[in-house]
Amino acid sequence: MDSLLRARGPYAAGSDVVPWARLALIVLAGGFVYGAAMGLFGVRGLQALYSAAKVPVLLGAATIVCLPNFYVVNTLLGLRDDFGAACRAIFAAQATMAVTLAAFAPITLLSYASSDDYDFAILFNGLAFAVGTGAAQFTMQRHYRELIARNPRHRIGRVAWGVLYVFVAIQLAWVLRPFIGSLRAPTQFFRKDAWSNAYVVVFEMLGEFVSGR
Amino acid sequence: MRELLGHVDRLLRGGYTRREDLLEGRVTVASRTLATAGLVLGAVYGLFMGVFAAMRTEHPSWPQLLATMVKVPLLFLLTLVVTFPSLYVFSALSNSRLRGPDTLRLLLAAVTVNLALLASFGPVTGFFTLSTDSYPFLVILNVAFFAISGFAGLTFLRRALTTLFEAPQVDEPERDAPPPPLAADLFATSPRESPLPPMPTPTPSRSPSNVALSFAPPPDDPGRRVFRVWIVTYCVVGAQMAWILRPFIGTPGLEFSFFRPRGSNFLEALWHTLQRLFN
Repeated sequence: MDSLLRARGPYAAGSDVVPWARLALIVLAGGFVYGAAMGLFGVRGLQALYSAAKVPVLLGAATIVCLPNFYVVNTLLGLRDDFGAACRAIFAAQATMAVTLAAFAPITLLSYASSDDYDFAILFNGLAFAVGTGAAQFTMQRHYRELIARNPRHRIGRVAWGVLYVFVAIQLAWVLRPFIGSLRAPTQFFRKDAWSNAYVVVFEMLGEFVSGR
Repeated sequence: MRELLGHVDRLLRGGYTRREDLLEGRVTVASRTLATAGLVLGAVYGLFMGVFAAMRTEHPSWPQLLATMVKVPLLFLLTLVVTFPSLYVFSALSNSRLRGPDTLRLLLAAVTVNLALLASFGPVTGFFTLSTDSYPFLVILNVAFFAISGFAGLTFLRRALTTLFEAPQVDEPERDAPPPPLAADLFATSPRESPLPPMPTPTPSRSPSNVALSFAPPPDDPGRRVFRVWIVTYCVVGAQMAWILRPFIGTPGLEFSFFRPRGSNFLEALWHTLQRLFN
């Protein structure tokens, strides 16, 4: 993990070998640890278990869904020779996010011990994910700096990846909710309206706001 | 199938639209291969697109899924059939180096690039199809993916046309230079970005005035002009073809039908869908 955070050894920038198994294990372990902590709001063991299972899925599934497009986009941009290195950047970023989140787990637990306010818990976890995303971007930038120096078109590939990934991840997070679990609601793996659409909800809210309803 | 994917891969990497081939007016891949690849890639996206109809609670429709698998590739190939004659005429009028069959191959190549990118969006479409029951959202999502893929296909075409019309007749490029290539070239935004070896600069000893003139960009840039005409023709026909071939997703609550009654047009329908999404 230390090598990953420092981008050294098997995780050094510049190589095109992707240590799939190790990175997947880190995402799984880090996501599990943070998920368990996240779900412990209100000290509910089952919710903690559910969240521990869901956070690694959130981190991994969005990547898998977006990967075919990333492959084609890189090929079209003429960056196929660097595809291994680009994948390495993406997976290293995901693993960094998982490690950062796991490192935040004790602080999350402390925040739960300090307050049983659900809105505060949401806000705090939002902050943890924002920090995790920042750390992931830092790792990604380390890897991409070299790639962009080699070919500036990697910038387009990175932006295309980011846009599609965020688009999918938001919906995936919506489907997989609840991660924290309101104390007023029973412990559950999915919400009743899990298979709805985050963007439609936003559009509806915007529509209501604009029409003044 | 592996061989077919190999051809698609080579096309995406620009192996079939190398500068030296285009300069000679050649596109070195069989039309049949491109058409087959287009059919397969379109069917793959159609599969993901049609899942919505098969999974919906009201009137689930497996025939709609099969119909969409057929219709997506047909949309592109029929649009090409309808527009090819006029596209070829415009190209020939502008003194393109491409003859009829090569023009067809180049257009098929652009369609295949378009469909390859569209197929790569398939898992994302599938994921949203499984996780939402909002029909207007899926319509907008699919329109967005078709538009992005279409843009990529047209960019590919524009770069190829620019090479065809703007590149002068020059000596053979350096043999030691890396193979020119890749779609990288087709997506380069400026000559500096292109991985192609730089164009040799004419020397005064070699037919001074003519060479210098041919190196300068033509004042009215026929490649760009042809592309503009093509893009307008292709997009208008493509949008209306999509309207004629609808339904692709299948409106919830309606029974399956291979075609809907004619009437209205694509842009009007898109506007109504956007209005429905916000209300």
